[in-house]
Amino acid sequence: MKPRDRFLKAIKLEEADRVPQLIRWGKEIGQRLSAIFGVAGPELGLRIGNDAVVCQVGINAEMEMSKGDLAEGETYKSEWGVVYQRQSGFNNPIEHPLKSREDLKDYTFPDPHDPKRIREIETVMQKYHEDYAVIVDLSSSLFEAAMAHLRGMQDFILDCYDDSEWAGSVLDGLADYYLQLGIHAVESGVDVVRIGDDIGTQTGMLIPPELWRDLVKPRIKRMIQAFKKTNPDIIMLYHSCGDFRPIIGDLIEVGVQFLSTMQRVGTMDPYEIKREFGDKVAFKGGLDTQQLMPNGTPEAVRRGVKDILKAYAPGGGYVFMPAHLLYQDVPTDNIWAMLESVKDYGKYPLKF
Amino acid sequence: MDILKEIADKTEKGKQLEVPAAVQKALANGIPPYKVLTNGLQKGLETVGDRFKRNQAYIPEVLLAARAMQAGINILQPLLVESGEKPIATVVLGTVKDDLHDIGKNMVGMMLEGSGFQVVDLGVNVPAEKFIAAIQDKDTSILAMSALLSTTAPYLKTVIEALKQKGLRENVKVLVGGAPVTEQYAIEIGADGFAPDSARAADKAKELLNLKY
Repeated sequence: MKPRDRFLKAIKLEEADRVPQLIRWGKEIGQRLSAIFGVAGPELGLRIGNDAVVCQVGINAEMEMSKGDLAEGETYKSEWGVVYQRQSGFNNPIEHPLKSREDLKDYTFPDPHDPKRIREIETVMQKYHEDYAVIVDLSSSLFEAAMAHLRGMQDFILDCYDDSEWAGSVLDGLADYYLQLGIHAVESGVDVVRIGDDIGTQTGMLIPPELWRDLVKPRIKRMIQAFKKTNPDIIMLYHSCGDFRPIIGDLIEVGVQFLSTMQRVGTMDPYEIKREFGDKVAFKGGLDTQQLMPNGTPEAVRRGVKDILKAYAPGGGYVFMPAHLLYQDVPTDNIWAMLESVKDYGKYPLKF
Repeated sequence: MDILKEIADKTEKGKQLEVPAAVQKALANGIPPYKVLTNGLQKGLETVGDRFKRNQAYIPEVLLAARAMQAGINILQPLLVESGEKPIATVVLGTVKDDLHDIGKNMVGMMLEGSGFQVVDLGVNVPAEKFIAAIQDKDTSILAMSALLSTTAPYLKTVIEALKQKGLRENVKVLVGGAPVTEQYAIEIGADGFAPDSARAADKAKELLNLKY
């Protein structure tokens, strides 16, 4: 079975020959694994059994992928006008272009028709789409992009209350940009478009669900409608870290078919989530990267993989992935334990 | 409505534009500034904090309430200094080295201030030496540290070890928190306390100093 067919079958809520996987990592783990396997980039993912390739063209690419060669502590300014500082293996936004609400008047969003970005997508398509599923990643898309990158977290959260119309204008600018860029991606034939914002925390949602429904949901709906109009078969993936259970029903309602990253925090019990939403949406992620992967034993990792498969994999509808990129604190033995146990336990029919 | 209750209510609802007038009114009624602070402004933030702990309030509501409280404190501050009111204790606060995340740490600072602590906020990416210099500089009761990343959480232990080396470990209580930090982890690295959110961090701070909360 082609990896691409396996991946797509899972998203269509069917069991393939095995649970597909999509594992990703930060720079240091990439170097560590490259030294072992002799390949780098997407090839390395395929080498360890990934069934899909991700082409990251959203603003979050600035945090890792596009400027991965910065030295620790070094800073740079992106074309969005955001200044990033590399610290702990990724680029953290430290200075925002919208310092005051007035700054929006003169702010110019990047060009969604920039051939450079479209070429990036086409290159991945040409290289991998024959055998592998291709995901174009447009995150962070709205709330997180505005909050973490363009404006600053506390300020944007308060803006939503002080001047929600203004906050809506920022989100509109982002939605317009991503809508155009996303249409290019859909036209190029990608299988999955990923949108998303980190709107979950360890204990619950970052913002009240009603605020999300007022400000964000209609704009997500507008984007998804445009993508589906371009290609009704496009699969919509939505990503958030943390606990975002209160809005899972809303996301399904506006056309999301695939959810990540299913961090097991707050009210995100994987068994309950699968029971409640598993007949409507597929899942990706869930394996703990905060404690288990960096601090657990290989045996604990094996148990963790088995448990997450037991929760999400029955009947299809699951792509195996740790709940986040793997970073430098993850011991290599835990990576082997994870890869082996996905192979051992992830064959359909499942044996548990 | 009782004016202090009105202040608490406006603070809780984050009405930063209405709080100053209510504070002025309370002062005009002859209520001592310290009472306006504790039974009015701090009470309001505490109420939001209690709801936040029970997952019945969200981060924005805490931020709005903290901002409203600050609007009131701005008026009271000179009067409190004049009357010689002292904070209940000093907390040195910061996000550890190589970690640039600040909203959780900021919220802990707001809740601590709302509970009557003086907070010395060292910001983000704080090395052990800077924490140590700060606690030596001021009569500090609690060192509160945050780490958002699993890769930076081990630095919490680095700071605790550095305190031991300098013979300062017994001088302060160490409170830790942040997404990858758990109660178990806090015990393992030798911290005195852990809190899963900002409101409970303030409770824990009082508990560590045997203050009622």
